[in-house]
Amino acid sequence: MDIKDRIDTELTRSPVVLFMKGTPTFPQCGFSSRAVQILQACGVQDYHTINVLEDQHIREGIKQYSNWPTIPQLYVNGEFVGGSDIMMEMYESGELQQVLGG
Amino acid sequence: MVTPENVERYIREGMPCEHVQVSGDGHHFEAIIVSARFESLNRVQRHQAVYRALGDRMREEIHALSMQTLTPEQWAISANAESRGG
Repeated sequence: MDIKDRIDTELTRSPVVLFMKGTPTFPQCGFSSRAVQILQACGVQDYHTINVLEDQHIREGIKQYSNWPTIPQLYVNGEFVGGSDIMMEMYESGELQQVLGG
Repeated sequence: MVTPENVERYIREGMPCEHVQVSGDGHHFEAIIVSARFESLNRVQRHQAVYRALGDRMREEIHALSMQTLTPEQWAISANAESRGG
C-alpha cells in the first residue's frame, strides 16, 4: 500500500482525524497540544489521532498529501481543515464548532 | 540562526505584501501578513501562499511559523479595533 492509500485509510477511521506530534495525553509539541485543546473545547469526544513521530513515512507523506509543510493537521470528513492557527481562528469565530457539529 | 528580520524578508521577496510583521526567537516565529492577494483565497490557500513564498526554507530553516493572514481591508478593521482599545 502506498503512502497516499495509507493516509486515505486513516482518514476513514473517524469523521474527525488529527495528525499530530505525540498523543492527546502526551503531546510532543506546543502546536499539537493546542490543537487537542481546541478539539476538547469544541466538545469533540471521539476523534482519531495519528502520531507522526512514530512513522517517518506518514510524517513526510501527510505534508505532500495536503500541500502543507507543518504538523498538526486537522481533517473533518476526509477534508483538510487546517493547522493549529486556522483551528484557533475558526474556533474563535465559531466556525469550527459548526464544522465539527455538522 | 534565522532572525525574524530574515523571515520577514523571505516573505516579502516571495510574494507581494502590503505589510509583514514577524517576531520570534530563531526557532518559533509569529507573523502577521497583509496582502491584497489574499482577497480571493480561503484560509488554507492563504497559508499555502505564504508557505510557497518561503519554499524550502520552511523545511530547512524555520521550525515553526504561526501566522495571521489578512487582506488590507481586514487589517484596517483590526487596526481600528486596536486603536479603540477593543
